[in-house]
Amino acid sequence: MMLVIINAFKSITRSKGRNILIGIIVLTIAVSSSIALAIRSAADAAKESGFAAQTITGTISIDRQKLMESAQSGSGSSNMNDMRDVMRQYSGLSLSEMQTYANSAYLKDFHYTASASLNAGEGIEPYSTEDISNSGSGNAQNGRPGFSGGGSGGGFGGMTMGDFSVTGYSSEGAMTKFISGESKIIDGTMFDTTVSDYNCLISNELAVFNGFSVGSTLSLANPNNEEETYTFTVAGIYTNASSDTEGGQMRFGTANDPANLICVSYHTLSALAEQSSAAAVTQTDENGRETTTALNLQTSGTYVFASKANYDSFGEELKSKGLSEYYTLSSSDINSYEQSLVPLENLSSFALTLLIIILGVGAVILIVLNIFNIRERKYEVGVLTAIGIKKTKVAAQFVIELLAVTLIAIVIGTGIGAAAAVPVSNNLLESQIQSQESAQTTQEQNFGRPGGGNRVQGGFGGPMFGNAVDSGDSIEYIDTINAGVNLSILIELIGIGILLTIFSSLAGIVFVLRYDPLKILANRA
Amino acid sequence: MGILSLRNIGFSYGRGEKVLQGLEFEFEKGKVYAIVGRSGAGKTTLLSLLSGLASPTEGTILFDGNDIQKIDRYQYRSRYVGVVFQQFNLLPHLTAVENVELSMRASGKVTRDKREMAMELLEKVGLDDNLAKRRILKLSGGEQQRVAIARALSYAPDIILADEPTGNLDLTTQDEIMDIFTHLAHEENKCVIIVSHSPEVARSADKVYELAPLKSRGRKNIPVQG
Repeated sequence: MMLVIINAFKSITRSKGRNILIGIIVLTIAVSSSIALAIRSAADAAKESGFAAQTITGTISIDRQKLMESAQSGSGSSNMNDMRDVMRQYSGLSLSEMQTYANSAYLKDFHYTASASLNAGEGIEPYSTEDISNSGSGNAQNGRPGFSGGGSGGGFGGMTMGDFSVTGYSSEGAMTKFISGESKIIDGTMFDTTVSDYNCLISNELAVFNGFSVGSTLSLANPNNEEETYTFTVAGIYTNASSDTEGGQMRFGTANDPANLICVSYHTLSALAEQSSAAAVTQTDENGRETTTALNLQTSGTYVFASKANYDSFGEELKSKGLSEYYTLSSSDINSYEQSLVPLENLSSFALTLLIIILGVGAVILIVLNIFNIRERKYEVGVLTAIGIKKTKVAAQFVIELLAVTLIAIVIGTGIGAAAAVPVSNNLLESQIQSQESAQTTQEQNFGRPGGGNRVQGGFGGPMFGNAVDSGDSIEYIDTINAGVNLSILIELIGIGILLTIFSSLAGIVFVLRYDPLKILANRA
Repeated sequence: MGILSLRNIGFSYGRGEKVLQGLEFEFEKGKVYAIVGRSGAGKTTLLSLLSGLASPTEGTILFDGNDIQKIDRYQYRSRYVGVVFQQFNLLPHLTAVENVELSMRASGKVTRDKREMAMELLEKVGLDDNLAKRRILKLSGGEQQRVAIARALSYAPDIILADEPTGNLDLTTQDEIMDIFTHLAHEENKCVIIVSHSPEVARSADKVYELAPLKSRGRKNIPVQG
């Protein structure tokens, strides 16, 4: 064995030109392969860690599409009234239903919120950048809150748009903006989520606009009945990072402005709704439809999962617990995250194709080169076997030579690949994102929207989640991946290198074993 | 019985062309043998048979009483017989001393410091340190011949086979090379078999076997001298 290794070493050092040529080919294969492998592994890791690092939230909502399809097919002919009946039959799940489903081992948490829209009472004005101090508040007080839609509210189940959004939270976990850091209390304290104490958090803008401070009281009125007022105490004031970044969009009413969001506990809002319900006046309009002045709460529940696997299992569990097929569990986190992975997956599949081509072409080149190499070294084979070195040893020597050159080239190539993988993969990813974005922009423009509203997030692992509800259509693509070359890639490459070497050596070995030393030497003579 | 014996050896190539027939030669240690004959008489073929690079189509070659067809011929070549090829067959990418060391390693016989021993051998055949460390292609024909001899001696085989060892050399060098062979046989008790058509070589040999081409028959495979 020593003989083989020494011979191989001598041969490598004495035939530099030939070995450098082989080395360059293997180096090229190694660089390309390591980049391709790094991209694939980074893409996979990004996907995995993305789901692993983040908690996933899901909601149960009505699958309207399915409902409509069912209504249409069920009646045979598309009878509009039938369809409407079916659609009315399924409304959003009640809180108690949601709580029933929340009793699951797959859940990490369940929290819920309720929202109501209230008008300004005495001594308070909604924050607005437009000059509505004279006309705006007047409208509100007249019970005709401008764009707020008070007039049409009755027709749509009593959902009336007031000046303010009041949201009641079941727990701190439900206050996603505060968790993500988008909102932050700068003065005062958080209200107690477990009691109904009419304490609230207001935005800094609203506080400044109305001269409120912690401890101030504010009065809000039922938009359906201005006589019905409720008094809240300011427990804390928060800043809203997103209030000025939502820009460019027309807001229909001040209630949509995040500055006019008033946060209370769910219990407070629930108590308020009960009070309102007790004091409600019910009327029947000319169409025989009942309208009420009672405040209508929009309740939504959010299920929190520790992993995507739990999310999937919970979906299965819901079915087994008998949730109607017209309801569906969905997660905007997962949707937006999966969307954000599209460029990455394209890149990953491109990397795989590249890898296969490189290895295929590389293998062919190496085999051909090896055959040439062995033919050129026929004389050496003749001499070595003539002085009594077995053919198998000669073949082993040639394989070791190739293996050594290959391994050195792979190590150097992996180094170069490691250095190049990050910029190359990020460049490729950027072009993928651009093409994806331009497709999205075109789509947006087709709908007459300005388009190009996608925010590109810097770095993977950022606040992808938590603000998913607010991110709307904008998809935050992963635009940077850490395409590093790690030990497993190095091992994979060395494995590939060894396989390639052995594979390409096989042809050479066959030649060596077939050679007859006497003939080689006689031909030369 | 000698160290190497030919029993009714015949050889023909694949097309049926006979080159050797009915050879009965005996080689002993301590003697220089010359195998002479005209071109095409089968001298190199006989040397290939003796070195184990080819197998006779008829008869038996006995090495120390054993049929060389039945022993490991790689081992036979690497340990018991040293061959000085007509074309030297040295590896050009190695230096003179490395070529010698290679044979030592191939035999597995040498336990001493190989570099030191190889240098001694090269010195013995007339190559100094400077020449010993040169690559083969940087050496003259005579110098390459000496390296080939040193290589054949490197693992102390009992038999030395040399194919036209003086073929391309000047007279002085021829004499020096023949002196080395004579010394090996007479002083170191080797069996030296030289294939040559040179009358000088035949004269220096202890015993001469003549090969005549089979076509002109009447070959006398008998010693003409000794």
